[in-house]
Amino acid sequence: MTQAALEQKPVEEAAPERGRAFGRHYLPFAYPALAITAAVIVFPWLFTIYMSLHDWKIGQQREYVGLANFAKLATDPRFLESIGHTLYFTVLAVVLPVIFGTIAALIFNERFPLRGLLRAIFILPMMATPVAVALVWTMMFHPQLGVLNYLLSLVGLPPQLWVYEPSTVIPSLVLVEVWHWTPLVMLIVLGGLAALPAEPYESAKIDGATGWQMFRHITLPLIMPFLLVAIVIRTIDALKAFDTIYVITQGGPGTASETINIYLYLNAFSFYNIGYASAVTIVFFVLIVLLAVMLLYLRQKAKWS
Amino acid sequence: MVVRRLLRNLGFAFAVFVIVSPAILVMLWMLSLSLKNEVDNMAFPPVFVPSPPTLNNFYDVFEKNRFDTYFINSIIVSGLATIVAILVGVPAGYGIAKAQAHKLAMLTLIARITPNLSYLIPLFILFQWIGLTGTVWPIVITHLVITLPIFIYIMIGFFESLPADLEEAALIDGCSLWQAFRYVALPLAKPGIVVGAILSIIFSWNNFIFGAVLGGRQTRTLPVAVFNMLTFEQVAWGPLAAAALLVTAPVLLLTLFIQKEIVGGLTAGGVKGG
Amino acid sequence: MADSKMNFSRRTALKVGAGAAGILAAPALMKVARAQTGGFNWKKFAGQSIEVSLTLGPRADVLRRHEKEFTDLTGIKVGSEAVPEQQHRQQVVIQFNSGNPQFDVITISWHVQKRLVGKSKWLTDMKPLLADTNLYAPEYDFPDMTAGGIRWATQADGRMDTLPLSIDPWMIYWNKELFAAKGLAFPKNFDDIVMAAEKLTDKAAGQYGWVSRGLKNANVPVWTSFMLGHDMDPVNPKTVQLQTTTPEAIAAAEYYKKLNKDFAPPGTVGFNWNESQTSFSQGKIGMWLDGIGFAPPLEDPTKSRVVGKVGYGIMPNGPKTKNSATFGDGIGIASASKKKEAAFLYCQWATGKLMASRLLQSGGGSPCRASTYSDKDVIAGLKLPREWLTCLQESTAIGRPGLPEIVPVTEFRDVFGIGLTNTIGGADARAEMVKATEQFTPILQKSEQG
Repeated sequence: MTQAALEQKPVEEAAPERGRAFGRHYLPFAYPALAITAAVIVFPWLFTIYMSLHDWKIGQQREYVGLANFAKLATDPRFLESIGHTLYFTVLAVVLPVIFGTIAALIFNERFPLRGLLRAIFILPMMATPVAVALVWTMMFHPQLGVLNYLLSLVGLPPQLWVYEPSTVIPSLVLVEVWHWTPLVMLIVLGGLAALPAEPYESAKIDGATGWQMFRHITLPLIMPFLLVAIVIRTIDALKAFDTIYVITQGGPGTASETINIYLYLNAFSFYNIGYASAVTIVFFVLIVLLAVMLLYLRQKAKWS
Repeated sequence: MVVRRLLRNLGFAFAVFVIVSPAILVMLWMLSLSLKNEVDNMAFPPVFVPSPPTLNNFYDVFEKNRFDTYFINSIIVSGLATIVAILVGVPAGYGIAKAQAHKLAMLTLIARITPNLSYLIPLFILFQWIGLTGTVWPIVITHLVITLPIFIYIMIGFFESLPADLEEAALIDGCSLWQAFRYVALPLAKPGIVVGAILSIIFSWNNFIFGAVLGGRQTRTLPVAVFNMLTFEQVAWGPLAAAALLVTAPVLLLTLFIQKEIVGGLTAGGVKGG
Repeated sequence: MADSKMNFSRRTALKVGAGAAGILAAPALMKVARAQTGGFNWKKFAGQSIEVSLTLGPRADVLRRHEKEFTDLTGIKVGSEAVPEQQHRQQVVIQFNSGNPQFDVITISWHVQKRLVGKSKWLTDMKPLLADTNLYAPEYDFPDMTAGGIRWATQADGRMDTLPLSIDPWMIYWNKELFAAKGLAFPKNFDDIVMAAEKLTDKAAGQYGWVSRGLKNANVPVWTSFMLGHDMDPVNPKTVQLQTTTPEAIAAAEYYKKLNKDFAPPGTVGFNWNESQTSFSQGKIGMWLDGIGFAPPLEDPTKSRVVGKVGYGIMPNGPKTKNSATFGDGIGIASASKKKEAAFLYCQWATGKLMASRLLQSGGGSPCRASTYSDKDVIAGLKLPREWLTCLQESTAIGRPGLPEIVPVTEFRDVFGIGLTNTIGGADARAEMVKATEQFTPILQKSEQG
């Protein structure tokens, strides 16, 4: 990015209005970033596509097989199961944080003493190192010695098997996700709440509306764009969730918490089946894009209404 | 009337308490585990306040595992990945914002959507080919996947919201585009850069999978080291919790001190989210 | 040791590791260097430094504890680390494939990685090194190595790419106090095991008759332990065909299911050896089936509530045979290493007589040297009860590989491990084994071709 390359002739003759065409001249600012992106993002993607067309295990010869990997995926029961687990996990891991995050945002939108400090504490989970926190949760989940079962016993509930039981493992992992990411939703929605105008509320109060009515008819529609941003971000992250699940259950018990990402990891780094793993990556990516696009489409519709 | 007000306040305080307690309680529990010795840690019902508390677990962590090396590695990796991302990402954000090149902005979205694992094998092969395996560089370069999109994303939002008058004035006065950027827009962008840097450092610090696959004995990062401690010693919860605390303490402290800026950056970024 | 046992052990020693006193030593076919005059100079490569990559566990513990001695002896600096099993195995493949592994010495689990490593020749052949007068220390006494250990260390094409480090036979730890309270004796056969487990289980009191690994991948040896008693291997060694849907294999899976589902503490689906070990050491478990190298913490008063109450039982009779599932580790030098000589000195030290005796004494494993077991001083220095040693020797005598010698062992353990874990939750054992076999058959076939 040298001075010379970007030097423009003096623009005193041009009017201060620059059209979109002029915008082109700003592109060189982005070239270095594009170069890095090409190396670090585009290249791996192209290579992944290349690998997915081969039957390639590390340490063995690779063999071009066209779309055979994808055909195998379509009938792979373990893969199809993993899609189910992923969707189950994602729905819970999106809906719950959005609900709790919105409530938290409403609370933090009010002014009260120590608000700054409490807000700082509230967002700590989001910033904590996932691996470290997952290890602590693993200890808390222990059926005999963990503190969670102890807390349950204090309120008279029976002890749970948490992550050691196929039927409760995904909800338990969702619990960790909710703890971890509710603050992010809170922040996004808070941004929206902060920008709300005051008049609608004043008129509503004069008309005698209750808090709930005000929320439902004024607040909710106005923050809908923000809610949708939160939903999209949460969906993408939940679909891709890895560290937490890997550390706590490695996809177990058996395959009960094996999501697509975990299955991907297994294929690539335990079975060294990188051809097959690349096919999983591509299908996975397409799935995420489809869901994200669908949600964004909903957002567009909400924007216009 | 007064009673009503009081109840309302109490109810509100209770709500605040309920909302904030999970966050703080888990952290406190981590602290408690790390300060207890073996016997206390295996006790049931669980002991909350260790008596007496012990720092042995922390000594263990440094002695038996080379946490000082890994700590430095984490600093190097996150630091370098952030610096490169600033040098390259801020101008890029500016360029894309000004050029309204939304398609390029899409690239950062693609980076966000792609599962991290899929970068690993191609990049690993690339590094092997170049001959960088065994150094910290592969990890730093791979972390750019995390840090660069953060900066570009935040800076696009930031520059889009800057009024164009000042730069216009500079351009009319005869500045080149670069000069307008460097002397007018850039100083104004400092808050955005700060937020970007903080978020970039935090997310890069927290990353586990890149260091796990690409890191060797001397080059791995903290999260990987703490994960390696997991198996073996039966119920060695003390050292494990101590290690976990050590790994996450820096980012937690950073968050506490700079929470205002982080909140600002994330909410602004969220709003502008395309 | 009775004579009949000696004959039996002679035969099976050809299959597996160390054993009773007087076991066969290395056949004279192995060429080793002649003694140099003036003693071996260990300091030949002083000043160099090597990287050693170990699997986290009792063996690594012993090696790292005495690492400084090696440096004092040779002047070679050692950078070592012990990585948890699963991560270590993954790293190994990635590192070797990079063509530039960051270690010179590495420990390998024969039962998982032997063929994988041998196929691609990732480790250096030890034979030329042993025959090299400049590198071979006579006090190493290679002929002292047991024939079983050497067999494990030797690949099908004749290359010996590791030095035998340790053998780990499986047996049953049992709580003598709990057994006595119910007037039970150590089981004599598989059905006895189930009966004892049932009698010892009192869920209201939080007491269980059995604990073993339930975590997928790690749990497969529990199942094969029962399979071997039916005189059945998971994969036929000659034809390399899966035998996992045979009546014997299914029967073994049924034993696995019954014991882990009905008589084991809740949560075993997530248990690897360390959780099982913790469980047993708390004193409320009747029996624990696992490798013999995990004994030391059980006799450690700061960690265990069953000190002095632990019985070390040999795997009881199955319907057809009495076998102990056995696994082993070797230590090898990376082919790409630039410091092979220094690395070789480390390997010799690690599997030498002194370290072997330390390994045995600490209870961390079973070295592959005949002399260790007949050395009175070594035996006297044993930190564990004599019963442990007897169990070790007798188990090794009836040892039989607990995992098939194929390339994709990890996938085998994963696929069948999942099926076994599912049975704990109530799934039908036959159905799970059939499903797993279907899934794994193409993988096995492909691996035998490539």
